[in-house]
Amino acid sequence: MGEAVKIGLIAFSAALAIGLSALATGLAQSRIGAAMAGAVAERPELVGVTIILVAIPETMVILGLVIAFVITTLKSA
Amino acid sequence: MIEKMAKVEILGLKDIALDAIDVIHDQGTLHIEDLSERISDMPDKRVTRMEMDPKSAEHEATLSNLRAKVGDMIRELAPDVDDISPADVQREYKAIWSDNVETMIARIEKSLAEIEKETRDPVERKADLMVELSRLEKYAPIMYKVQPLAERVARMQDMASIALIIERKYKAILNYLNEEISKLTNGECEIVASDVDDESTAALIVFNRHYLKQVHDFLAVQDVNQVRLPSDLARKPIDEAVGEVRARIAQIPGELDEIDRKLSQVTGKYSVQLVAARNAIHDRLDSMEAVPKFGQTDQVFIISGWLPEVEVKNMETALADRFGTKVIMTVVDIREGEGEEDAPVALRNSPFVRYFEIIYMLSKYPRYGTIDPTVIFAIFFPIFFGLMVGDMGYGLIIMVLGWILHRKYASKPLINMAGFLLTMGGLWSIIFGALYLEFFGDLLMRWLGLIEEVHGEEQVKYILGSEDTLFKYPIDRLEGFTFMLGVTIIIGFVHIGIGLVIGIINGLKEHNRKHALEKGGLLMVLTGFMLALGKFGFSWWPSALVGVGIVLAVAGVVVAGIGGGMGGVVESLVGVGNIFSYARLIAIGLASVIMANVANSLARQVGGGGGVIGVIAGIVVFVALHGLNLVIAMFSPSIHSLRLHLVESFGKFFEPAKYRYEPFKKTGGEE
Repeated sequence: MGEAVKIGLIAFSAALAIGLSALATGLAQSRIGAAMAGAVAERPELVGVTIILVAIPETMVILGLVIAFVITTLKSA
Repeated sequence: MIEKMAKVEILGLKDIALDAIDVIHDQGTLHIEDLSERISDMPDKRVTRMEMDPKSAEHEATLSNLRAKVGDMIRELAPDVDDISPADVQREYKAIWSDNVETMIARIEKSLAEIEKETRDPVERKADLMVELSRLEKYAPIMYKVQPLAERVARMQDMASIALIIERKYKAILNYLNEEISKLTNGECEIVASDVDDESTAALIVFNRHYLKQVHDFLAVQDVNQVRLPSDLARKPIDEAVGEVRARIAQIPGELDEIDRKLSQVTGKYSVQLVAARNAIHDRLDSMEAVPKFGQTDQVFIISGWLPEVEVKNMETALADRFGTKVIMTVVDIREGEGEEDAPVALRNSPFVRYFEIIYMLSKYPRYGTIDPTVIFAIFFPIFFGLMVGDMGYGLIIMVLGWILHRKYASKPLINMAGFLLTMGGLWSIIFGALYLEFFGDLLMRWLGLIEEVHGEEQVKYILGSEDTLFKYPIDRLEGFTFMLGVTIIIGFVHIGIGLVIGIINGLKEHNRKHALEKGGLLMVLTGFMLALGKFGFSWWPSALVGVGIVLAVAGVVVAGIGGGMGGVVESLVGVGNIFSYARLIAIGLASVIMANVANSLARQVGGGGGVIGVIAGIVVFVALHGLNLVIAMFSPSIHSLRLHLVESFGKFFEPAKYRYEPFKKTGGEE
């Protein structure tokens, strides 16, 4: 029973790490994306730069994935 | 590498100014500096902006009109630029070009008149036919709806009818019209309506002909659309008119095709002339429009600009050969670090590295006097791309697609460069795919029998090393995640470290000691951090190195603070965080390999269902999911690799240039 609870908590923690960071990234990208659409409508030459800007918040979800993966390795510890 | 530039000033007698401008334009190497701002700041008004004489201004206006006319013709005739031979355009350009502007204008006007004569009638006829077709297509559904009723009305001598077209959302207005027209006609009226499509409703008002004028007057003030047929059809009985509408709708596309065929013959005949005329006008106007950027006194003209150092001799010789001592070119002594900020930047890289200059479509050129980082991008971009994709199958497809794009679009720089980047990225994906032993996910490992089931869980059988050793082959990205995380952090340290070393060199080159100190402090912090981090990776890591690392990091924060103040301290701490951003190199690859494995697993399950249909369904699932993963694999690693360069590494040293080197030159008929 104790082992099951431990595995459950590890899985829950990993889910929180990836889930919350994904939400945060989504929120940030939605705002940057909306601003990007406006900027590109007026100055289409900015499309390349704005794609990079949209990619910036993805660091959060990438680090979330890394942390989630590291958390799952605790299972064997 | 940034091309070494020389600042030059060209002075000469004013009466030969336009000839001198022509020679400079022919040379095509001078980046003109606009003198107007400097002139307006001068307290002494002896030097003024150069102005064109009235005759030249008149020529400029004529050429501008001709440019608009040629532009319109090219748009209308839409010649296929890929089919036009550059050699033909160049030959025609030489035939049009003349040093005498009036002669050149006359030649272009003659050419355009000839083209216009042949194209005007078909172009106008085509426009008329398109209008007619669009009008008939609008009327046809309405006429089909009202035809049966109108035929009945036509048989009743005393009755008249009017067809209306109403937006469906305002359909209720028909009740109002019915009431009002009933009042006007003493009840001798009826309205029938039928929906034409999702947006409109056709209605036919039938009433006693005696009230025709009153009803027309009433409808005129009600702002409703009466269906007015073309006059030739309006006088005909409705069934005959409907027949004619049908026939015309069927006939017009054929007439349009015939006109298009004739026009394409004319276009083929004159496209070279049009493109050459456009280029010649562009070159002549380019030369005229540059005049206000130059200066003049009562006797002398002044032209200022920048030349690549290697071109100075050629320009000097060209001017001396033509004008002797009447025009003098002087190379201005720009002392290092002073005045250089206004130097335009031209890059001179090897043909291989030149493809990677695509990065400057997203950012400005590096400032003159600093180091050009294109070669760093050329080395690291494909490696990062390959590290993230890391699949031999995907790499092969990406490489082939990239090469096709690169070869097919040789004349389109953006696609050509992007194709080359994909080719190199694909090549590195194959190399890393061999390290991970991935071919469309775990397909190859399964074929080789390197995946075995232990206690209900699948495990990789390593060819080299074992689960407990640090290095093992193949490097399974799922099991070896922690190892690869460490590798990506080391790569991040090297990549950011190179950026900081360039920052230090830039600071020293510009005698900006504070800048160099700030970057050096940050490098110390990063090095110290890596020394301390080693303990987490390797149990044998000496504790003394951890101590050295901590001391180095603290000293680095102090040095960064001395160099860059509070900003330097903050930057040195944030810089450590930048290293972890390189975790994306493994994280994105991990997502890709999991998706590839899921595609394989699903395809096996569906395909294992049995029978031919099962196998076909399995293949469809395999192709669809791997196809999706491949598209993501081409897009996402490119963006993230670009981002790691522009934000993490270049952000440590990159200073943008004010101007790109844009020489004042003729197209010579080449564009």
